[in-house]
Amino acid sequence: MIGKLKNLVRRKSFHVCLLNVGSCNGCDIEVLACLAPRYDIEQYGIYVHNNPREADVILVTGAVTDQWVEKIKEIYAKVPEPKAVIAIGSCALSGHMFAEGCTHPPVSRHIPVAVEVPGCPPRPQEILDAILSVAPVVFKDYDEKGGG
Amino acid sequence: MKAYDLSIPLGPMHPAFKEPLRVKLKTEGEVVVGAEVDLGYVHRGIEKIMRRRPWQKAVFLAERVCGICSNSHNLTFIETLEKISDVEIPERAKYLRLLAQELNRLHSHILANLALFLAIEHETLAMMLLNVRERVLDCQELLCGNRVILSYNVVGGVRFDTTPSILKEILAVIDEIEPKLRRYAEMFEHGPLLRMRTEGIGYMSKREAELAPAVGPIARGSGVRFDWRMKHPDYVDILDFKPVWREEGDARARYMVRFDEIFECIKMIRYLCENMPKGEIRRRAEVKSGEAVHTQEAPRGDLTYFVRTDSFGRIEDITIRTPTIPNLGAFVKYMLRNSPTIADAVVIYASIDPCIACLER
Repeated sequence: MIGKLKNLVRRKSFHVCLLNVGSCNGCDIEVLACLAPRYDIEQYGIYVHNNPREADVILVTGAVTDQWVEKIKEIYAKVPEPKAVIAIGSCALSGHMFAEGCTHPPVSRHIPVAVEVPGCPPRPQEILDAILSVAPVVFKDYDEKGGG
Repeated sequence: MKAYDLSIPLGPMHPAFKEPLRVKLKTEGEVVVGAEVDLGYVHRGIEKIMRRRPWQKAVFLAERVCGICSNSHNLTFIETLEKISDVEIPERAKYLRLLAQELNRLHSHILANLALFLAIEHETLAMMLLNVRERVLDCQELLCGNRVILSYNVVGGVRFDTTPSILKEILAVIDEIEPKLRRYAEMFEHGPLLRMRTEGIGYMSKREAELAPAVGPIARGSGVRFDWRMKHPDYVDILDFKPVWREEGDARARYMVRFDEIFECIKMIRYLCENMPKGEIRRRAEVKSGEAVHTQEAPRGDLTYFVRTDSFGRIEDITIRTPTIPNLGAFVKYMLRNSPTIADAVVIYASIDPCIACLER
């Protein structure tokens, strides 16, 4: 009973944390644009803030720079279970044009990634769609699968 | 060295910061006495990647230095190349470049003020501005075909032409958002809550702004009457540009300067849309070997590019100097002295509108 209630609530309300690991701000301001009343991310029960300890989903933007190689794992460890990572933008997927610089792409080399959103930058609708698509899959029957 | 009570680290992930940066605040009780800034979280080595590459590839790297003021980087880089190779661009291309640049500045200033109001937890006002910003991004998409990374300028002109119907639509959007922005600016100017959080906070005198040296809206908030657009031939010939400034020098003056500039931008966009000349938009041009330094007013202040090219049009050497470097210096050295509490340090940080992606490249 409580497990069912937990699953129901988890799917409908979760916290999102934005993690910039060396992006050009383009993807970050598109995530910020999701907050706008036009897209209205909060009507789906998604709350965006910057604290990994309270988050359920982390949005990672940018090619992983030298300083972030260790820290990205630390921050991923801080996020409580159940958790999912969404990699946003071409940089997070492949390094894009920064692949030859001081970066270590892709993000999936460092932490497990659930969804990848390509684009430079992707549109807010696509980001919103990715967040909504990951929620039912990751948080469905989490207790029964042996977590939490 | 003076002793301090406690060192409070902010970041690299902090709810008030858009970007990763670590600031260590040195405090005596509740009063902030100093700060250390720890950088390097977004360093991608763009200048290194650009070297030994043809300019056609480097231009895409230049505009990805920063996603917020991408058009400024693009325009400054292209104008530096044009300075090297003595290229004259057609009249219509000049107008289109200015139009794209002013739309970009409009959205960047709205975003800067919005981030400040999010930092002081005034979410309603921030959402109002965010809604207006979406309309400006629509204009950018109509003109250049993309919302954030525009890729609009090339050596010899601009990439796409526009039609009278698009210009009419941009004018309609401008007419729609101007009364809204005037109303918000009025609210920000007279709102008692915002006054309490920002008036007299982070004061920097004109002398200090010149010493630091702060640039852009931050310097103009302290009474420095300088803007690189005054020196730009297109702005002087076409728009008869006059800079705006305020004398108070606190966090409030800095965001009000941005509001004043927003209305200047709207005036310029309206003039450019109404008086767009006809003709070609791009001329055949070749990048020669040579070197040049060019400075342009980005939304946050002076943006300088030094470029040296070889005879094949490849980039031999490039250095970018972005406006956040001197502004962050002014923040640590002068503004934090007038921070009564730790919460105000975050407000001051948001008021200088830092762009860490620009700073570290």
